[in-house]
Amino acid sequence: MPPYVGSGWAAVHHTHNLDPLLLAVWLLPLAGALALWAFGPQLRRGAGVLGTAVVFVCFALTLFDVRGAFGSPASGVGIGNAVPLVSWLPGFDFGLLWDPLALLWTLVITGVGGLIHLYSIGYMAGDKAQARFFAYLNFFVFAMLTLVLSDNFVGLLVGWGLVGLASYFLIGFWFYKPSAVAAARKAFVINVAGDVGLMFAIFVMFAATGSTTYADVFSHAGTLPQGVILTICIALFIACAAKSAQLPLHTWLPDAMEGPTPVSALIHAATMVTAGVYLIARCAPLWDASPDARALVGTIGALTALTGALLAIAQWDIKRILAYSTMSQIGYMIMGVGVGAYQAGILHFYAHAFFKALLFLGAGLVIHELGDEQDVRKMGGLRTRTPIAFIAMAIGTLAIIGFPGFSGFYSKDAVIYGVLERGYPALYAIAVITAGITGYYMFRMIFVTFYGRYRGDVPDAELGLAGRPPASAHGHHGAPRWLMEAPVIVLMVPSVIAGYVSIGGAGSLWMRYFKADFASQPLPAPPPPFSELASTLLVFAIVAAGVAVAYLRYGTAAAKEGAVARLRTEAARIPQPFVRAFYFDDLIDAVAVRPARALGNAFSRFVDPHVIDAGVTDVARIAGRLGRELRGIQTGLVRAYAFVVVGGAVVFIAYFALLRLPR
Amino acid sequence: MIWTLALAPMLLGLLLYAWPRSADAAAKWFGVAVAGCAFVVTLLSANAPDESVRWLQRPFTANFHAGLGGLSYWLVLLLTLTTACALASTRISRQRDFVAQMLVLMGAMTGLFVARDLLVFALFWDLMLIPVFLILVAWTPSKSSASAWRYLIYNLTGGLALLLATAAYGMLEGSTDVLGATLGRGATAIGPAWGEWIFAGFAFAFLVKTPVWPFHTWMPSAYADLPPAAAAVVSAVQSKGGLYGFLVVTAPLMPEQMRAALPLMFVLGLVGLVYGAVVALVQDDAKRVVAYSSLSHLGLILIAIFSGNPLALSGAVVYVLAHGLFSAGLFIVLGQVEQREETRSIARLGGLGARNPRLAGSLTIVALAALGLPGLCGFAGEILILTGLYQTGAVWVAGIALVPIIVAAAYMLRLFQGIMQGPEVEDLPERADASFLELLAIAPLVLAIVLLGVNPGPVLAARSLAPAQLSAVEVQR
Repeated sequence: MPPYVGSGWAAVHHTHNLDPLLLAVWLLPLAGALALWAFGPQLRRGAGVLGTAVVFVCFALTLFDVRGAFGSPASGVGIGNAVPLVSWLPGFDFGLLWDPLALLWTLVITGVGGLIHLYSIGYMAGDKAQARFFAYLNFFVFAMLTLVLSDNFVGLLVGWGLVGLASYFLIGFWFYKPSAVAAARKAFVINVAGDVGLMFAIFVMFAATGSTTYADVFSHAGTLPQGVILTICIALFIACAAKSAQLPLHTWLPDAMEGPTPVSALIHAATMVTAGVYLIARCAPLWDASPDARALVGTIGALTALTGALLAIAQWDIKRILAYSTMSQIGYMIMGVGVGAYQAGILHFYAHAFFKALLFLGAGLVIHELGDEQDVRKMGGLRTRTPIAFIAMAIGTLAIIGFPGFSGFYSKDAVIYGVLERGYPALYAIAVITAGITGYYMFRMIFVTFYGRYRGDVPDAELGLAGRPPASAHGHHGAPRWLMEAPVIVLMVPSVIAGYVSIGGAGSLWMRYFKADFASQPLPAPPPPFSELASTLLVFAIVAAGVAVAYLRYGTAAAKEGAVARLRTEAARIPQPFVRAFYFDDLIDAVAVRPARALGNAFSRFVDPHVIDAGVTDVARIAGRLGRELRGIQTGLVRAYAFVVVGGAVVFIAYFALLRLPR
Repeated sequence: MIWTLALAPMLLGLLLYAWPRSADAAAKWFGVAVAGCAFVVTLLSANAPDESVRWLQRPFTANFHAGLGGLSYWLVLLLTLTTACALASTRISRQRDFVAQMLVLMGAMTGLFVARDLLVFALFWDLMLIPVFLILVAWTPSKSSASAWRYLIYNLTGGLALLLATAAYGMLEGSTDVLGATLGRGATAIGPAWGEWIFAGFAFAFLVKTPVWPFHTWMPSAYADLPPAAAAVVSAVQSKGGLYGFLVVTAPLMPEQMRAALPLMFVLGLVGLVYGAVVALVQDDAKRVVAYSSLSHLGLILIAIFSGNPLALSGAVVYVLAHGLFSAGLFIVLGQVEQREETRSIARLGGLGARNPRLAGSLTIVALAALGLPGLCGFAGEILILTGLYQTGAVWVAGIALVPIIVAAAYMLRLFQGIMQGPEVEDLPERADASFLELLAIAPLVLAIVLLGVNPGPVLAARSLAPAQLSAVEVQR
């Protein structure tokens, strides 16, 4: 029996109910965005409150509608509720799909999103354009909900494009900064490259199945030729790679840190960048039907995890450290869902949404406290100055490295062992090594930022920082500190406990939740050489080694003493490939950006005027001279008009006279 | 009624020369009112019956036959809407004369789109060149009128070819009143000896008008020198004359020749698609960015029309209207920018968004529609066209056509960011943000851009002149 049958897509399985709650959840953020956009300036400080309230209301409505996502038991094989909306043409039908996968993402988007909105009230309090900021944030929530609620690929693509737009708006929020403008454009263009991949997937699936809705496409998954499925999967993965910062389309993510920190937390850590994980999980029937797609996506995920971790080692900007770590962790998720360990990959998304948001918001507290300083070399000893940030980032770090008892422990181990179970030992090795590097770079950040002596007053030159552009403060005043600290404290809780849902193996709440979405598939014949417990111990040992190296380099008393000199020499000694981020930017520049510009210049400066136009220019010049003389007689419209009309009429009549001649 | 739609604006336009010169501003609102009325009347005339007045009987039958069915309806709506919006945003010297020319232009183009007789079609084809030529001569910002003459030479040559082809068609067929009722009669009666020449004549005219690479070199200079309101209407609607011609003249009358020309047209369309995109990437003049982007977008529509795939054809109709809406919007907003800052150079401009948020908002939406943002009208056209192309087996064409979409994102953002974002430029004149009226001039276009993007349903069936219903079977495969 082909694997997709168990997943329930083979039969028509959704109930069709117009679900007002769901429509409200989907459209309220759009209404919020439009209201904030239109009346923002009048709302002043109320803008943040309105924007935040909208998202929390959506969260509450989602909770009320949990049951709907499981459909009515009477509906048969599958579960979920489909709400039809618009139909362009047969095969291009649009609607919403409310099922467990959509529910999970919606809860994270509105829940974590609401907390980050709340945090933003404090973070953006001093900014004159805060109404615009909240309008964009609300618009992002709407776009992301469109992405995860759509019941077809074209609707998904609409959400896919709109989140890219929201991301563009928010990365370039401080649009007077040239660096922010460039980063926003880069992010958008690379994401359009991803959209184009998704478009190509739509062409292929429409040609093969005559439809773009999930139900129709997936029900064909078992019968399509391997080549077609692989083509669809690769095209879809191009979209995932662009959106989820996978190799080689990841280069926009570190630059995206130009946006305000709450944006980095919401869009570039917790939600939007995990859209690729969502897409692969959603398209499980396709990946299940294509072993090649699994191997490819698993491999790219693993390589991305490793690359992100390696590059995070060499960063000094606290947000760029977190950005590369996000890239690395999404690599884990993609690897997990790519090889078929869907529940594990999604669990890592779920846990990561909390602890990475926590890390970014903690970093935001630090950045806010230091007046927009982001370079960890100018930090140090902040443990006592920003205790909440310290606790937050410590919890987040323990979670991300997979310390037992913290959320990341459950999710990351599940992914790592899931890869081995499904017969990819090489990817397993990469994943384990990456875990060790994660331990190293995260503790490097913690030691350099929060331990030792504060280095903010040390001159730039002594730290090897001379020549960098000054940090631009976006203005901080007014808002009470608790507004920013409260969401951070709330996020600490799930960052610890989010993984507990998966305790209990196959009978756990987590596995039961996805029972209808992902068929339990037989694992490959040779069982893994060692048990999950042995794997966990191995990963723990490697991570501990990474943390120990970080401690020896940055955490010992001697290291803290000589931090200034150490950091200076270290910055100078970072190998060039790391500084240039393994030359991916240069690569894209060389193969795409520069050739396109060169071609454009050649066409407009040479081909147009000297090849295509060679003859016409002379004719036009002569005619132009004629025209000047004409105007010399009398610069008037009537003359010229008469000339053209009469001339035209003469020509017109002449031809008819000729035609009327006997044949 | 239908002929009134075409003739009344022309007549009112000419009468406007009797308007007192001192009341220039009022002339503008008069023009807006005429265009607005034409829009409303068209909107209500969806089911208007055809009208016909006898014209020639020898050497072939020709009638002043007009209809408003199918594609005509949507194009006249687009024309009157963009003209109203463009006129509302106009601020120009000798405004009265300008409005007069624009009304003549609108009437002539209405005539083109409602004509059901080839000879009448050809007549309005030439007629609509005149006001544009005169506007180019009279309001060109440059010293020479080279762009005007270039425009006229190219398009008159095309018009001549069209006229010859029409006459030859009439002589062979005995009638040129063939675009309406006799539509879709299937196999053509034109013999192979003449058919190719006649098709070549039509095709040449349409290719120049659209324009399709390599007949495009009249366009950048004309669009750059035309006042924004005229550039908006010419690029939004007049350039569609060519694509409209392929859809309603050659596709039903000469299907065999269309099929034979398919490889050539695919190549021309694809070259234009890529060529226009990369050239738009390096232009400094904001209007030339839009001009070259048109070359790119219209190349895609050409491919869609020749593919003959029902899905791609539906997409082509959507994209024809979409391109009309967003290119009109782009020229209007860029005109508002130029009016304020007295330059169109992207290198010179910058940072306007800080003090002109409403202007920046307008430009954002039209630029996003132009770069094919999913959810707006450009995307609806693109996805349908490309899905249809892929379906017909033109896999590589669909694949290559995706690349310019990425480039479009780059050049449209370069345009938008170069003007609105970055640090404020010190020595630019500081002017007030877009006024309520300026926003009102762009609002109908924005509304249409969103509506057409969310649900192009009503437009999809309008692939020909017959008020056809799209059958589900036809579209499916």
